[in-house]
Amino acid sequence: MEVIKENSKKTFENWVNQFSDELFSWALYKTSSKETAEDLVQETFLAAFHKIDTFQGKSQPKTWLFSILNNKVIDHYRLSAKTTKQTFSISENSGYELSDGLFNETENWKNNEINPIWDQEEELLDNPEFNNVMQDCMEDLPQKWKFAVTSKYLTDKNADEICQELEITVSNYWQIVHRAKLLLKKCLEMKWL
Amino acid sequence: MQKIMNMMVNSCKKTTELIDKQLFTPLTAKEKMQLQVHKSMCKTCTAYEHQSKLIDSIIGKWFTGKSKTNVKLPEERKNKILEEINKS
Repeated sequence: MEVIKENSKKTFENWVNQFSDELFSWALYKTSSKETAEDLVQETFLAAFHKIDTFQGKSQPKTWLFSILNNKVIDHYRLSAKTTKQTFSISENSGYELSDGLFNETENWKNNEINPIWDQEEELLDNPEFNNVMQDCMEDLPQKWKFAVTSKYLTDKNADEICQELEITVSNYWQIVHRAKLLLKKCLEMKWL
Repeated sequence: MQKIMNMMVNSCKKTTELIDKQLFTPLTAKEKMQLQVHKSMCKTCTAYEHQSKLIDSIIGKWFTGKSKTNVKLPEERKNKILEEINKS
């Protein structure tokens, strides 16, 4: 038993060195507070350490840690909802309705005009203000969709693992990402002037 | 004209689905053709393809360390975490 514990301590040392920056920047993006983000990352590693025997190596360690962190983030919002302003995600149903709303009854674009914001492609990528607007738009997405859109970058692009975590099928997965992108497009065109 | 177009080719809604689907799984030959035909006639969907990719690159940047929002967990905190783990 003690040997196992010592081995996992070694493993965790590697994981902290390898993954803590990524976990931290994700937590920071989710919470916008350095202190909270640091705490959440610490809680994530400790929680992971205590339930290391439930980690069966079926997914990547990074994926596993990120799923724990995401739960911590959700818990954090649940707790702080009572005291601070809650940021509301819309429900999946309204997500479907809103994205359907971009098209008319013949399923073609309601608005065929191409918004001029998309011409500034290169500038947008490095524009911090645009990135902030984009983050706001992400906040509005249904919780599951948010994770679907970002998880591709968090998990070395293994679609099967992501689907397992989200409890969806692969075809559901790209459809969710697709719907999320339609909403992001709509939101950016409204909020970025 | 709109009606004939609808019979011949996919709607814009369906086309945007294919645009995002191809990023995850290869399209069938038929789907590829439908996508090409539609895009050749529809600027809005062609633009959507660029927009969809741009949204991807922005989000991707947040996680690959190239974004300005990327930061590092302070060393003190890393040590603290390892300390806590070793105490356990």
